[in-house]
Amino acid sequence: MSQEWNEWELSKENVQPLRKGRVMSTLQEALAQQETSSHTAIQQQKQEFESEIRFYSGDDPLDVWNRYIKWTEQTFPQGGKESNLSALLERAVKTLNEQQRYYQDPRYLSLWLKFGNYCSEPLDLYNYLHSQEIGTSLALFYVTWAEALEARGSYKKADLIFQEGLLRKAEPLDKLQSHHRQFQARVSRQTLQSLEEDDDELEESNLGASEPQRSSLAELKGKGKKKVKAPISRVGDALKRKFTSQRVSNCPGFAVFDENSVVTAGAELPVLTPQPWAAPPATRAKENELKALDMISLLPFYPRSSTDSGAILQSVLPGFTPYVEESAQQQIMTPCKIEPSINHVLSARKPGKEEDPLQRVQNNQQDAQEKKEQPMYCKEKVYAGVEEFSLEEIRAEIYRKKAKKRREEELQAIAQKKTEIQRKFEEMEKVVKEKQDVQCQQSYGQVISKVNHLHTESSFVYISLLIELLLESAVKQFQKSVNLIYLLVMEGALIFVIYRGTDQKWQVNLKICLNLFAGELKWHVCVKLIFLSLSFPAGHTQTGARRPLAIRKPSDSLTAKENLPPESCDELNGIEPLTEDPIVTGSYKNKTLCPNPEDTCDFVRAAHLASTPFHGIVEQRAQLPTDPEEALKEEFSESKSTSLSQQTPISEGTYNEALCIKKLSPIMEASQEDTSSSGSSASSVSSLTQISTMKYLQISEKLELAQSPPDEIAIATEDNAEQRKELLYPLPELLTTCPDFCLETSSVPLIELGKEIDLGNETYCIKQECWISDDYKIFFAVQVNFAQVDSKGFAIKVFSQPVPWDFYITLQLQDRLNTEFDQNFSENCSCILYRDGCVVLHREINHFTLWDIIQHCKTIPQEVIVLVVHNLLDVVLKLHKAEIILGDLRPEVLFLGDRICDSFANADLTSALKIVDFSHSLDMKLQPRVTSLNSFPVAQTQYGQQMLAECSLPYQVDLIGIADIVHLMLFREHLQVYQEGSQWKIKQCLSNPTDGDLWSQFFEKILNADGKSTVPLLMELREKLNGMFDSSFPERLCDCLTSLEELFKLEDIF
Amino acid sequence: MAKQLSREQGITLRGSAEIVAEFFSYGINSILYQRGIYPSETFTRVQKYGLTLLVTTDPELKNYLNNVVEQLKDWLYKCLVQRLVVVISSIESSEVLERWQFDIECDRSAKDDGAPRERSQKAIQDEIRSVIRQITASVTFLPLLETTCAFDLLIYTDKDLAVPEKWEESGPQFIANSEEVRLRSFTTTIHKVSSMVAYRIPFLD
Repeated sequence: MSQEWNEWELSKENVQPLRKGRVMSTLQEALAQQETSSHTAIQQQKQEFESEIRFYSGDDPLDVWNRYIKWTEQTFPQGGKESNLSALLERAVKTLNEQQRYYQDPRYLSLWLKFGNYCSEPLDLYNYLHSQEIGTSLALFYVTWAEALEARGSYKKADLIFQEGLLRKAEPLDKLQSHHRQFQARVSRQTLQSLEEDDDELEESNLGASEPQRSSLAELKGKGKKKVKAPISRVGDALKRKFTSQRVSNCPGFAVFDENSVVTAGAELPVLTPQPWAAPPATRAKENELKALDMISLLPFYPRSSTDSGAILQSVLPGFTPYVEESAQQQIMTPCKIEPSINHVLSARKPGKEEDPLQRVQNNQQDAQEKKEQPMYCKEKVYAGVEEFSLEEIRAEIYRKKAKKRREEELQAIAQKKTEIQRKFEEMEKVVKEKQDVQCQQSYGQVISKVNHLHTESSFVYISLLIELLLESAVKQFQKSVNLIYLLVMEGALIFVIYRGTDQKWQVNLKICLNLFAGELKWHVCVKLIFLSLSFPAGHTQTGARRPLAIRKPSDSLTAKENLPPESCDELNGIEPLTEDPIVTGSYKNKTLCPNPEDTCDFVRAAHLASTPFHGIVEQRAQLPTDPEEALKEEFSESKSTSLSQQTPISEGTYNEALCIKKLSPIMEASQEDTSSSGSSASSVSSLTQISTMKYLQISEKLELAQSPPDEIAIATEDNAEQRKELLYPLPELLTTCPDFCLETSSVPLIELGKEIDLGNETYCIKQECWISDDYKIFFAVQVNFAQVDSKGFAIKVFSQPVPWDFYITLQLQDRLNTEFDQNFSENCSCILYRDGCVVLHREINHFTLWDIIQHCKTIPQEVIVLVVHNLLDVVLKLHKAEIILGDLRPEVLFLGDRICDSFANADLTSALKIVDFSHSLDMKLQPRVTSLNSFPVAQTQYGQQMLAECSLPYQVDLIGIADIVHLMLFREHLQVYQEGSQWKIKQCLSNPTDGDLWSQFFEKILNADGKSTVPLLMELREKLNGMFDSSFPERLCDCLTSLEELFKLEDIF
Repeated sequence: MAKQLSREQGITLRGSAEIVAEFFSYGINSILYQRGIYPSETFTRVQKYGLTLLVTTDPELKNYLNNVVEQLKDWLYKCLVQRLVVVISSIESSEVLERWQFDIECDRSAKDDGAPRERSQKAIQDEIRSVIRQITASVTFLPLLETTCAFDLLIYTDKDLAVPEKWEESGPQFIANSEEVRLRSFTTTIHKVSSMVAYRIPFLD
């Protein structure tokens, strides 16, 4: 018998019984909370109800009140002041009184009846309800009324009530009938009994006759006068009944009986002929009226005063006045709590002062009818519930509601857009299937799958990516079908425009585009807009391709263009100019690339971003000696070599001018070919000038970016890529002469998980994606037609830029390290440089990466950590000696070396890792002056941002990288640092007593190396770790490795 | 039986059966009174378990209850009863409104060895008293029975028991969507009675 479920019993006296019963769990909770006096949850719920009452927008406000009251009943079992139930009921019936439709609603009636329990004279309330026709068609009303009368012994009256109910066919009738029957049975039994006991009763009552009579007389005279009698107030029904039954039985000889019958007779009247209750009750109205009269009489010149007062006077005279104590005073009900500290003296309640809530309700109605003043604030909202709301609260609620609505609308719009896009793609897919060969479908499928993949966000990135993908595939298909590109890009435009369409400014634009799209004849205009906007690279095909693609319309569309209705052109011109100030002033520099619907510059910039790969293509093309337009390249290098300070202002000027001239779509503004396309046809403008304009723009853009703050990652990396391109041009002999280097004129084959691809003379099957980032991907692959002897395979790295940087670094390392170039590096790698990218193939790579260990081991054995870290330090040391910075250390691309993976490995073999990824590496010999460290991925991490100062040496990056790897291995989470004094420390606590010291020293050293040369530090750290390799180490390591092997076998995909 | 117990020599199976049967007699009476199944005038006060309890004066009801209790006593002695349920249902709709369930656990080993158990009469009485008090106190949470109600007694026995004359087999008469409240239990060490009341969830209307 645990105590918890018997708690209710301890406070059973404090729980008011309810007609409907109580929910035990709520009761227990309420009682428990009462003990702990933690009312916050209840208060919160109450607040919710209060605000719901105020801001309910549905069509059934009664429902809210009903729930609120039921909740209150259940939550405050003691009732009492705290629950404020009486005030609540009062407010509810008052508020809903205006709604006639609720008058026959059982819920509303039950509110009234509950309210009746708080009235000093519920019978008055029933009379009132009857006169107002509230609940008069409901059985419950008559049953309750009759019960109340029965309890007072007015059986006749009770029967009358039942009769009326039956007459009016109150629903449910059978219930009323059965109650009536029971009532009759009770009455007859009672009468019988009283007759039997008459004699005894008579004696008894004779003895105590004087007392009840006196008390009832005293009550009539007024309680205030006889204070001794006042406490003897009879409350309980049983007492009343007993009392009245006594009286009834005693009646014949006493005057009291007369009085009772008189009352009965008097009260019968309202039942049969309802009184005009609309008239105000005496006391309150009298006061009001008097005051009004005074005021009016003070202003005799006021013409309407006499009539007004007369009207009031008339209306105040009621046909029926409810019984009101003379001493009754108006008490203004304020919901605010009185401080108990102020009110600590207990004073006897003066019964005379107590006002009947029923009266208040009636008064309120009268007030409403007479009301002349109009509150100039949302009074009804402030006082709607029981609590008083402040205006701020109301405002906040309204705001919240609005925000919610807005959000919902947005979500809906996004969903709509999504489906639209989906639909478009389906259509496109169909067209593609019809028109294109298999290869085309494949690449197209990729686009679609990617798009589907991304469909969670309708963000800016999403759109720009979408465009990028579309263009990518468009370029690939270009030579095959001009039509398709148009279609694809057109679709892109549509999506683009729809996306922006939510913004009001762009609505017109959307309409035009849709119109254009709808009319098949005009679609090419749309295409043109898009080509302009996306700065589609000038050249794809060998000849004549440098003209803007827009002009390359299908022959039949030439006429179509002329058919273009003039109004649509007008519309285009009519678009309001967009705020170009940010572009002009360059104020967008400090912004991240997150979507900002207000900022059109983001949008503009994204167009650049979206088309970045094609800049690369252009350049690459220019570099190829076979390119027939080598002259163009000369042009490029010339403009590049000329001092930027001279060039930039000019180019900016043209840029701005272009923006001013062009008031077309925002897409148009992003165009780098504005000048050329401002005319209806661009064909007259020479391709050369176009491209040089483009170049200027690029330069000016770059200039801006050079000053840009650290968060412009994408652009920083792009900058980096540009630099590399420059560095590797012309391709150094080191590369071209290398037998493992090969040049392909085609584009990078599509590499996808699970697919087979041909590289060189071999076919590989892609088994795993190790790392995917924006500009490079690393896959693990195996040879298809080759029996697999061990878990070794190939690491294939695909770089989206045609720069063989990785391969270059590998070769450089081989060169610079000589004998030290060991198994930590890929000795056996080859590189294929494509037109638009670069693939590096590393042979004999173990399948697993450090990431696999971190992911699958709950705790990585200390031995393995020591081994890996030692090796890592060794590798980085070598790199730094060779003046190469690795730049990015990721467990995902740190392939495990033979020492860990090969169980038969020689114990003195040290290579625990194999470094293949040099995407972010820097050759300090080639790039001695590094402007900022922001291009490194580390700089984007929290710890990186914390620790990397502006002046930090780039070598520092690798140290942080190592620290992060160690942190990951120790704690399975990324590095988190804080500064204590001038010292950087890790937030994690090194708990292990044996190795904790080692690692805390390690972190202390590696995190606080700023400014120092890294080589001695790395050596020092390595030496420290050397101490761990004692005689038993190989044995322990062997054990750990076997357990690791078990783990790997489990998740082995081969 | 009171004499038997007052000797304070422990509880036998027979004594235990009597105590439990007596409890049911008073318990059912209490329920009938508290829930207003019969008019309150038909009840009279008696002192029992240190409480003032109300028992019916209605001769028919008295007779019926006596019969049941006698039968129950017999079964309790034979350790055949598992549960006694007082079902209160509306006469009009014959819908079950309340269900008082008393689970009885019999220690069958007492049947075999027959050795009296050590347990003071007072302790048992105290426990019974608190159960009856809880029955009385249950008005704090039970819904008002607004219609006239009738009651039924269900006794769960072992399956192989032959149904006596004037008894019939019945379903469990559960209440759909009921709120269940466990009440206290008492034990004579041979019989353990745990009680529970189920009623309709107040919010489902």
